[in-house]
This record gives sequence, structure tokens and C-alpha cells, in this order.
Amino acid sequence: MTSKTDPVRIVLANLIAESQTPYTPDKILREFRATVDKRLSDRELLFLLESISSKRPNCREVLDEISDTLESKDPMYALLVFAERINDETMWQSKYSGGNNSNLNSNKNPEMSAPLHDSELGSKCVRKSLDLSTSTPVSRRLPEDTPALSTINATSAPTTYTRRALPNALNAKDHFAQRGDLSVIKKRVLNAVSNSSALTGTIDQLLNSSNSNKLKAQNLAGAGAGVGVAVGIGARGASGAASRTVNVESSPGAKSPKATHHSGITTVNSSGTVTGAGTGPGTAIAAVTGTGIITGTSTATNNGAANNSRALSTLPPTGYRSLLERTQPSTNSKSAGNNKDVSEPRDGLLDEYRTHLLWDYYRVDTPNGTSQPELTALPFDAQQRVLLTEILYCLSGVRGTYILIMPNDEQAKGLAKYETQFSLHVQVDKSLVEMVNEILPLASYFMGIQKVIALTDGHGQVNNALNAALHVISHDFYMLLQQAEMELLKNDLTVAKLLYYLQPTIWVIGEIWTTLAEVDMNNYHGAAVLTHLCDRIKQLEGDKCAQELIIGLARKAAEPYMRMLQLWIQKGIIVDSTHEFLVEDNEVIHKDELPEHYSDDYWEKRYTVCSECIPSFLEKHADRILRTGKYLNVIRQCGQRVMPTQQMNLEFDPTNERHVIVINDAYYFAARMLLDVLLTENDLMGHLQSVKRYLLLNQGDFTMQFMDACEDELAKNVDLVLPMTLENLLGLTLRLSSARSDPYKDDLHCELLTYDLVTQMSKIMNQQEEYWKTTDRLDLSGLECFAFTYEVKWPVSLVLNHIAITKYQMLFRQLFYCKHVERQLCKIWKENSIAKKFSPLAAELYRSAFTLRQRMMNAVQNLEYYMMIEIIEPNWHIFIEKMKKVENVDMVLSLHQDFLDLCLKNCMLTETSHLNRAIFKLCKICLKFCEFIQRSQRLFRDAELKSMVCDSSDENTDHSDYELDMADRLQAETTLDETDTFAERVKRFDLEFTGMLISFLKQINDLAKDNTADRFMNLVHRINFNGFYSEQMDKLCVKNAMG
Amino acid sequence: MPSEIITLQLGQCGNQIGFEFWKRLCLEHGISPSGVLEEFATDGMDRKDVFFYQADDDHYIPRAVLLDLEPRVINTIMTSAYSKLYNPENVYLSKHGGGAGNNWASGYSQGDKLQEEIFDIIDREADGSDSLEGFVLCHSIAGGTGSGMGSFLMERLADRYPKKLIQTYSVFPNQDEISDVVVQPYNSMLTLRRLTTAADSVVVLDNTALNRIACDRLHIQNPTFTQINTLVSTIMSVSTTTLRYPSYMNNNLIGLTAPLIPTPQLHFLMTGYTPLTSDANLSSQVNHNPLSSHQPVNVRKTTVLDVMRRLLQPKNMMVSTGPDKTNHHCYISILNIIQGEVDPTQVHKSLQRIRERKLAQFIPWGPTSIQVALSRSSPYVQSNHRVSGLMLANHTSICSLFERTLNQYDKLRKRGAFLDQFRREDIFKDDLTELDESREIVDGLVQEYEAATRMDYLQFSTTRRADRLDGVGDAKSEDTKSLNSGDL
Repeated sequence: MTSKTDPVRIVLANLIAESQTPYTPDKILREFRATVDKRLSDRELLFLLESISSKRPNCREVLDEISDTLESKDPMYALLVFAERINDETMWQSKYSGGNNSNLNSNKNPEMSAPLHDSELGSKCVRKSLDLSTSTPVSRRLPEDTPALSTINATSAPTTYTRRALPNALNAKDHFAQRGDLSVIKKRVLNAVSNSSALTGTIDQLLNSSNSNKLKAQNLAGAGAGVGVAVGIGARGASGAASRTVNVESSPGAKSPKATHHSGITTVNSSGTVTGAGTGPGTAIAAVTGTGIITGTSTATNNGAANNSRALSTLPPTGYRSLLERTQPSTNSKSAGNNKDVSEPRDGLLDEYRTHLLWDYYRVDTPNGTSQPELTALPFDAQQRVLLTEILYCLSGVRGTYILIMPNDEQAKGLAKYETQFSLHVQVDKSLVEMVNEILPLASYFMGIQKVIALTDGHGQVNNALNAALHVISHDFYMLLQQAEMELLKNDLTVAKLLYYLQPTIWVIGEIWTTLAEVDMNNYHGAAVLTHLCDRIKQLEGDKCAQELIIGLARKAAEPYMRMLQLWIQKGIIVDSTHEFLVEDNEVIHKDELPEHYSDDYWEKRYTVCSECIPSFLEKHADRILRTGKYLNVIRQCGQRVMPTQQMNLEFDPTNERHVIVINDAYYFAARMLLDVLLTENDLMGHLQSVKRYLLLNQGDFTMQFMDACEDELAKNVDLVLPMTLENLLGLTLRLSSARSDPYKDDLHCELLTYDLVTQMSKIMNQQEEYWKTTDRLDLSGLECFAFTYEVKWPVSLVLNHIAITKYQMLFRQLFYCKHVERQLCKIWKENSIAKKFSPLAAELYRSAFTLRQRMMNAVQNLEYYMMIEIIEPNWHIFIEKMKKVENVDMVLSLHQDFLDLCLKNCMLTETSHLNRAIFKLCKICLKFCEFIQRSQRLFRDAELKSMVCDSSDENTDHSDYELDMADRLQAETTLDETDTFAERVKRFDLEFTGMLISFLKQINDLAKDNTADRFMNLVHRINFNGFYSEQMDKLCVKNAMG
Repeated sequence: MPSEIITLQLGQCGNQIGFEFWKRLCLEHGISPSGVLEEFATDGMDRKDVFFYQADDDHYIPRAVLLDLEPRVINTIMTSAYSKLYNPENVYLSKHGGGAGNNWASGYSQGDKLQEEIFDIIDREADGSDSLEGFVLCHSIAGGTGSGMGSFLMERLADRYPKKLIQTYSVFPNQDEISDVVVQPYNSMLTLRRLTTAADSVVVLDNTALNRIACDRLHIQNPTFTQINTLVSTIMSVSTTTLRYPSYMNNNLIGLTAPLIPTPQLHFLMTGYTPLTSDANLSSQVNHNPLSSHQPVNVRKTTVLDVMRRLLQPKNMMVSTGPDKTNHHCYISILNIIQGEVDPTQVHKSLQRIRERKLAQFIPWGPTSIQVALSRSSPYVQSNHRVSGLMLANHTSICSLFERTLNQYDKLRKRGAFLDQFRREDIFKDDLTELDESREIVDGLVQEYEAATRMDYLQFSTTRRADRLDGVGDAKSEDTKSLNSGDL
């Protein structure tokens, strides 16, 4: 069955048989193929042809033409032309009868010829294009557009997979050659060209090609009825191309029952399929084969476009081979020799696309087919040869005669979906059946792989890269087939031998098939593919060959991913149009356009890890990867240049962890650099110190001075407080106090919030309670609403963001309020100290008031001490210590947050037990008491005056009387409520305050029992240091216990 | 410039301790004896303006008024290296230069006579400050100028600046040695009265204890005044350190003293200091002592707890209170100022330890605790100690000091000895009621301190004139008592 594989040979053999000449096809071929010095003269060659073709009616015309050709062209070319011409006529006769006789294989006809109406034009076209496509250097600049396009694909596709739709569309467009708008094509092609880095195809070429495009269009137009269908299919191809699934879509389309089985239609149909799909996957091989391909392609395309169904019927395998052979310069000439068979040249062209494509046992129905010899009638050897050829076809996806393809089960689930079932012809020798059955899974696997490639193509960079790698493997596979066929041709091949050759491949391809089927089955994209490959690598631990192959695939597939990764960790840039990378950039608007609270969200939300996009081998490092790029971006936003120190060479190798080292290096570099920017250049610690100084009242003298300055203003109702006045006073204080040497003092500002601390708390806790809602804003004094705020610029605002400042403010407000109470108590202390001039008796009257004041002072001061000395300062100390060892900014952030949260928690500003309300109430009562004492002050002064008078007069007898008088008067007058005496008022305050304090302490006590980790208990110990309140607390406990 | 404090130095003793105090402050703030800021001290985060002001030419000038009735000590100061430091207008020497002759009455009278000139200086100084917080008076209570003129000044200041704080560093005479000033008990008694009624807080510096500490603890035989005064200057400087190196708390004088003094009368504070060793704290003069040279340089690992515990030991107190036989005296309040490398987390643990072990006895009638102020210390003064601490405490046993004075006074008064020189002055021209009243007030003070040890302090009222020689008014006080108890 050599004739089948080599059309020229077949033609020659037929002729020889007819003419009974003593030649063999090989001999003739050798003559024609010989180099110039050894070759026979043109005349002798012509004679040779004449001798074998003399029986043919068209012999003369053909030979005339050949002699012309021989003068100008290569003899081999002439031979090809000859074979074609001579066959055209003969075929035409024999075909009809043969087609009727072919009962066995209606789907496949080796000698299938073009429909009648096509032949004339077709041959003209062939001639014309052949003129150009001879193996002279000119042939590279073919006027045919499709090959030109495929050239572009070859160069551009590896770089931009996502652009693949474009060439497809272009190809599809070819079928509408009438409408072939030059400018549009040119534009598109330019587009494609601009995407390719190494462009060999020039625009000239394209322009040329467009000329021939018109030609071809005419050809097609001449094709009559076939054209309409062709256009329809073309349109389908075009739409398919747009959705990137041309290959899949158009094939079934061709198979659909509607499609008439007219050969012409099928041809166009299939060629549409081919062009649509072939460009994409084909690129990988095209890139490898280079210019050799282009030549081959051009020839093929010309013929195919112009020609008819013959293409499909016989030639796919040869097409494959011819291409494969051409990839190797050494075999080039040999393959040409093989191609002697009649229909070879025009069919090879279609295969050009097909090679990279899914044949998938596409059923070609032809009305007529040549009869197949009965297998059983053949001797075993011949039978084996037939079978081997069939196997080789089968392996490359072409439907055979004896190996029958079971129809695909549409319902198939799981792996079965990617499987093809075969059944052997019953006549096949039993001894071969087993072996063939062993080989056939390979065909199934390979087809499965091709299917998956076609299905997953264009599904992102990783899939494309994987497919590209698979094409290389496919290519190798074809090479293997070719070698097998070589053997076959030399009659060296047996099924057993083939099985022996293919055995290792079956294993490996089987594993790849499994892997890929799962990829498609689970619809893996991007990282999931990589993860899957890695998993497979692990699973294949025992199978070294397959494992290595998958490792290679994984490495290739990971390339685009690793490129993205490298760009990210080296420069902080994300180029990820297919959303495969693990880091997502959520930026919507540029930083400058977001004045408020930008930094809050920046850190958390700007870049996020997309957990589905992490390949398993990066799982552990995702966090670091995220940070690395994030840091780089922050650094860039700080106006610093991101200067990668070392050349980065990031590659994924499943066998080692080198990429981890690279990632870690990049991470440490970025972390270090940002830390430097933040800590050294922007003096974060200095800012934090300043914040602590002002917002945590560490700079006590400043606080005092500011309070001195603002006391009157802040005592007003918040609506009457003028923020400008406060700001001015603050500025003044900052410049006059010891804060003036602080470089960051100007970052401090005043803020009047619209709610008090308790409301803020409940707001934060989302517990809007009725009770606190009623606190109208109008009732608040400036003091209750006042807070400092600290404004910092990027990048310090990363740390001192709005949330952090709010936390500081909460601490500040509590501290500030306590401080205010302390000051008021100190004030009345000073005013009360006048009582030391009183006689002991008068002094005694006030003693209860004094001791109450002292208790208040004790409570408030201890609260302050507790918060400042026991909470803020130690935590700050720890924070500073930890900051010395910090290694990245995230740590800085978390440490700072921990510091603030610890402070808030231990200052009773977070928990839900309302301790801070108790504090607030305690402070309130202290303030009320201060107010009361101050109102009574006038009478104090009276008392003082009188006592001095008494002292100086030294009227001891009257003295006591007078004092008592005074006391009575005081008791009567100092009260607001007429019925209350001074002492009673004090007593009432005393009761209220003590009750509140005791319950506060008790509450803490109870809390401490539940949670020993908190420090609240320390406050109780402080306030109750000498056990003064113990008894009362116990009493309360008992009372509570009693109910 | 907030919370300025004007220091008044009165008499021989006052000027001497004041001189040491300023020396120390200059050292701590990096100010040269001529008042110029040293090169190394320009970037400090300290507050110099509480005690100094800046003249036009960048000189730092102490807010100090130097007053004396005799020229000896002031002349010494004005011929020392620090002569350029002070504002010469603030140095006042009485014209006749005869001093007060260790006579309270003389000092008081001269103060009266010279008050215009003196208050010119003080007023000018007060006007020069933005928000004057108070006055600090350095004097001794036993002499003439410091006690007499000091008493007068205190009374006038309290009238003139009722809203300003008056704090005194009052040196009490050494009880262990026989004083050459025979009227010392009278002087003390009269001054104590003013300290009780006119001063807001009195830091008691007991010469008895200071001498004892110098001898026993520092191993200096016959300590000189300078050595003692260095000790005093340390206490003065450390007790103001929270004002000069502000932190969270106690950043002004009132915030420092108010928590310590619950009721106006009980405002006598004692101090304790640790570690008391012959190191930099006592300056170079100590090293001249042959004994001290044998002392190894003492670098101790001191913790906060160590410091706080030691501060509670009587031997470190700068007041010699005598043995407390009934063991009923107690702390009314305590403030510890701790300097050095302190881990702030230690503070709480130390407080807990003290609380658990009941190392200190506290008043039963009110809440009180040990306040701890962690203070920065001067970077320019090297200390051999990691941690050092000063305690300012209000302790009831201070009344034993007053009792001692009372006893001595009573002895003299019974005999009516040495009263002639008092009668010469205006204030005692008519009678000696001033003395009796003073005694009465001091006695009341002692009683109040005693009462403060008891639970019923709130209901306490002084049994007036209980010990009085004439025994008048017992009935009245009974009435008062009953009445008061009825009120409450």
C-alpha cells in the first residue's frame, strides 16, 4: 500500500503497469531527484515520462507542458506536475466506477478526486501557484495569504497566546475573499505583527498575499454550488474563531446531518475547519520548523483552497509526514521523493493545517471509494502491512478501514469522555489483534491529548504554555510515527516491532492523557493547572519517565506564571490580563484622588491574595509574595526608586526549591528597603513618639499648659467652642512649651468630635442603646468632645492611619478627661488649703469634704497612674523592644496594633462590661463635687476672715461661739437645696461617689475572677492599696449575695 | 513658660542649701557656672524654664531671690564660680548687715521693715513669669533670718499671692548636739506656727537625721555643712525632677503635692533617699575625706522593689522621728520618684509585693497608696547606680519632731528664759501671746497628726489648750465636741 502513502509513486506505478515498461516508480523518482551533475538530460527525462505515459490519451499535451516546465524548473517539480496532469484525466474515468464499487469504505477514498467543475480552474490555479511555489528562494515570498498568516502566527503566537483569535478570524475571512477588504486585513495583520517580537513575515508579503486572495476568491466563486456552503461554513469558522473554539465547533458542524455529503462541500468545510483551528496549535511546530514549513504550507494551501475533496480523502497522513520530514533538512529530499503519488501536492496543503490539528477520526463521507482488498485474501505479511498502515493512520487520528472507530459516547463522564474506542475489522488475523489492541490505546490517548489541547486552548497563559509544551511532545510523537513509517516502507516493520517501539510511549502518553483529561474535566485554569501538575508529579513518584515528562510540562506551563511572579516580586507590577496571578490589584482610583482615609484600606485592601490562584508549590509563600510586591509599591509611592539589586532568575522547577530562595531574597530585600524608608527616612518612631507625647499625654507639661490655655474655651458647650480658637491656642502652646523642639509638633491638631467617648465606644461596638442615645449633643461640653488628632503623610500614614489615630483618640479622651478631673481636684485643693489658717474647730467642719476630695483624688490619680504607668508605658516599652527586632512593615503594623489594642483593652475601653461608663460617671461626680466646693468658696473666705479676726482679738471665750455660729451659717447657706446643710450635701456626694466606686471596683473584681489575664485587678489593688474599701466591697458582696 | 517656681533663699542656711541646689540644677541641665548652656546640652528635652529664665544674651538665670541680713554667705556665693549665674538685682543684703542675731523676732521685724524692697524683687520676678505656680522657700527654722524673716515673708506671700503655692524646704536643727543658739526652741516654735498656717507644704529636712546619715551611712566623721547641704541639694533636685523632666504625671508643683496632703494641716512631708552612698551624689568633696577613699565604688544592681523597700526603711529617712514605741504611726501618703533604668513593668510587681507583705502601714481612715513616678534623669550627670529613688511621704510620726520642739520650748518657756531679746521687738512689745498661740497651734498640729493615726480622724477635734499652762477653756472644748458630734 505504498501507493497510498505516496501519490506520485502511485501514479507512476499505475503508469508503469499500464505501459509495461521496465521501470519502477522509485527508479523514475531517483532519476528526477538526482543532482544536476548526475541527472539525465531534460530530453531523456521527457522520454522516460513519455515511455510510461504513452498509453494515456492526454499524454501529448501533458508532455508538452512538462517539457516547458523542465526548461525553467526543477525536474522534481516537473515530475510532480506530470503526475498530476496525467492523473487528472485518468482519475476522472476510473473514479466513477471505483466510487460505485467501493462498498467497504464509503468514508474514505484514497483516489478521491475533485469534483468535476472544480478541476479546470483548480488546475489552473495550481499551475499558477506552483509557478511561484517552487523550491527557489522566491518561494518564501509566497503570494498566498494564508501561509503568510501562519508565518505570522508562528512568530507571534508563542509570545501572545491571547491574540490567537485574531489570526483565526483572518483565516476565516479568507473564505469571504470577495469581501476581503485589504485595509482591514492589513490592519489586523499589523496588529498581529506588532505583537510579535521577531517578525519575519513582512507587510509586502501580506500585500502580495491579498492579491492572490482575490485570485482564490475567483476560484471559489467558480466552484459554484459549493461556494455557498463554503461561505456558510466559513462564517461558522469566523464566529467560531471569535469564540476561540473554531476547531471544536466547526468539526461537529461539518458532521451535522444537514451537511450534504457532496465532496466539494466537505472539502471546503474541512478546509475551513483546518484554517480556523490550525493556526493556533500549529504555531508551536511552525515555530520550530521555520521556513521549510512555509514553503510546504504555501503549496498545500494553494491547492487546498482551490481544490476539492480529494484532499481529505487520502492525504492527511502524508501531509503529516511531509511536514514532519521537512522539519528535518536531511530528510527533505527523501520525502519529496515519497510524494510522488498523484494527489499528493494538493492534499499536502490541507494537511498543513491539519497537522497541528485535531483530526479526531473525522468522518469523511464520499460517495465513491476504492475497493479495499479483502484482508483475509491477503497473505499475512501483506495483511500486516495494511494493518500497520492503518495503525499509523489511526495513531495520527485518521480514520482507517480495518480499525473502526466506535462512535463517541456523548453521555460519557469522567475520563471516558476523552477516550476513543476502536474495534478491529473481523478479518484481521487473530495473532495481530491482541498486539494491535495494545497499541490502540495510544491512539486514544493521543487523540485525547489533542482534544484537550484544543479545548483548553486560550484559557489563560498557563494553559497556553502547557499546550505549547504539549505541541512539542506531539511533534516528537509524529517524529516517532514517521520513523515507524520509514521502517514500514523499508518493509522492516511488524506489528510486534511497532508495539515494542511504542510500548514506552504508550505509558508516558497515557499518563499525560490522564493528567490532561483531569485538567479539562475539572476545568482547571492558571494556578490550578500548575497545582494539578505538581500533584501528578508526586503521584508518579515511581514512574520516572512519565514523571520527568510531566516535570518538563510543569516547568514549561509555569513559565508565564513565573514571569508574572518575577515581575511582581522584582518590580511590584502586575501584568495579568487573564487573572491568573495570585495577587490581585484592587486599585480603582489613584491615590491622589483619595484624600481621606486612603491609608486605612490601602494596606489591607489594595493588594490581596486570591487563594484560588495560588499554585500548590507557592502556597506557603503566598503571603511573602504578596508582601514583597506590596512593599515595592509602597516604596514606589514614597517616591523612591525600586532598585532590584540582583539579577533575578525565577524559574519553577518541581524538583527543587530554588524559586523559594529567589522569592525569599526578593522578600527580604523589599521588606528591608521599606523598613528603611519608613523607619529611617520617614522617622516612624519619631512620629510615634510624638503621638505618644501628645495623644497619650506623655508630655505632661504640654498637656497641663494646653489645659491652662484652653480650659475656658473647652468648658463651654461644644457648639460654642470655636475650633479656630482652639487651634490657635494649641499652636501657641506648642511653641511656648517644651514641645517646641519637637520636629513633628505641627502635625498635631485639634478636633471636636460630635459625640462623647461613651457614645464613640458604643458606636464602635454597634450597640446603640437607648440610654446613651438620649445624651444629646447639645449637652456636651467642649471638653467631652475634644480630642487631638495627628496628621501624617504617606507612608507614615500606613501605620498611623485613621483607625490607629481613632484608637489613640479614645485613649486620649479618657486620659484627658481624668486629667481634667485631677486638675479640678487640685484646684479646689489649693483653694481649700486656706483652711489651714482656720482654727482647728472650723477646719474640722470641712474635714469630711477634704477627705472626700482626697478619696476622689486618690481614685482618679490611681486610675491615671494605672493607665499611664501600668498599661501604656510598659506596653510601649515592650513595643519599642520588639520594634528593634522588626523585619518587615507588616510586623510594624501588627505590633503597633497590638500595642494599641492592649492599651485600649486594659484601659477598659473595649470590653462590653461598661467599665468605661463607670469611669465616666465617677469623673462626672468628681466634677460636680468640685463645682459645689467652688460655690461654697465664698463662705470659706468669710470663715477665714472671721477666724483671723478671732485669732488676733484673742477673745477665747467668744471664739468658739463664733465658730459655731459660722458653722451654722455655713450649713444653712452653702447649700443649693435650702433644706440641705453643707455637711449633708457633702455626705450625699460621699455616698454617691463611694457607692459608685465600690460597685466599679466590685465589677472589676468579678471580671478578674473570670479572666485572670486582664490587668484590671491592678487598678483595684491600687485604689484599695491600704484595704480601705475592702470592708465596703465585702458588704456589697454580701448584699448582692443576699439578693 | 508654664508653672514657674521662684526660689527664695533666706539666711545663712537657706542660701547655703540654695547654692548647692542651683549648682546641682546647673549640672543636670548642662548649664555652665556662668549661666551659658553647654555645647552638649543644646538638644535636651528638659524643662529649664521652670527654674531658670533666659536673658537676652542666652544666659540662663535662676529664678532665685537671695536674701540675707548679713553678708557672709552671700559674699561667698558671689565670689564663687557661680557668681555670674544669679541676677545681681535678685540678691538682697540688708544695709546694716548686722544679721538677725539668731533671733526670730529680730528677723521678723527686719522683714517687716525691709518688705518693700524685698517685695520689689519678688514682684518683679513674679511679673516676669507667665504663669507663676508658686514659691519655694529655703531656710532653717532655728536661726534668725531664715526663721524670722522667712516667717514674715510666708505670711505676706500667702496674702499677696493667695493662689500661688508656697512650699518650703525647712531645715530643722540638730537635736543631738547642743546648739549654741539658746533661743532655738522659741525660734522653732514661732516658725513652725507660720509653716503650719502659711505654707502649703513643708519638706522637712532634719539636721539630726542628715548628720546621722552622713556619719552612719556615709561614714563621714564630723560632716561639714557643705556635705550635709549636698545631701539636701540632691533631695531638692530629685523632688523637682518630675517638673523638670516631665512625663505623664506630677508635672507641676500642685500635682506633686496635692495628692500627698489630704487635709490642709497635715502638710509636713519627710523625705527618704536611696541609695545613700558616697558617690557622685555627694560630689567631689566627699572624696577629700580619707575614710571615704577606702570605700569601694559601689555599683549595685538595684531593682525597683529594692529601691521602694529601702525607701520605706526609717534609716533612709531624712527625718529623725525617734523610736515609735506604740508602733501606731502610719503613712498618710507616699510618692516615690524613681530614676534610672527602670523597666516599667516592674513597678506593679513591686507595689504588689509591698502590699502583700504589708511593708508599710497606712492610715485607716482613707484610701491611700504608694504613687510611683518614673522620672527621667539628667543625661549629663553620671550615677553609679542603675536606679535611685526619692520618697516624699506624709507620715504621722513627723509629729514627734514637733513634740520634741514643744518639749524644749516648754522647758524654756516654763523658766521664762531668754525672753528679753524677744520683748525688744515690736511683735512682743506688749505680751508674749504670740508665743503661746504658736505653741497652741503647733500642739494642735501634733494632736491632729496623732489623730490621723486613728480611725476616727474625721470626727476628731483638737482638745484645745489641754496642755496649756493656764488650763483655760476646757469646758468650751467639751462643748465643741458635743456640738460637733451632734452635727455629724
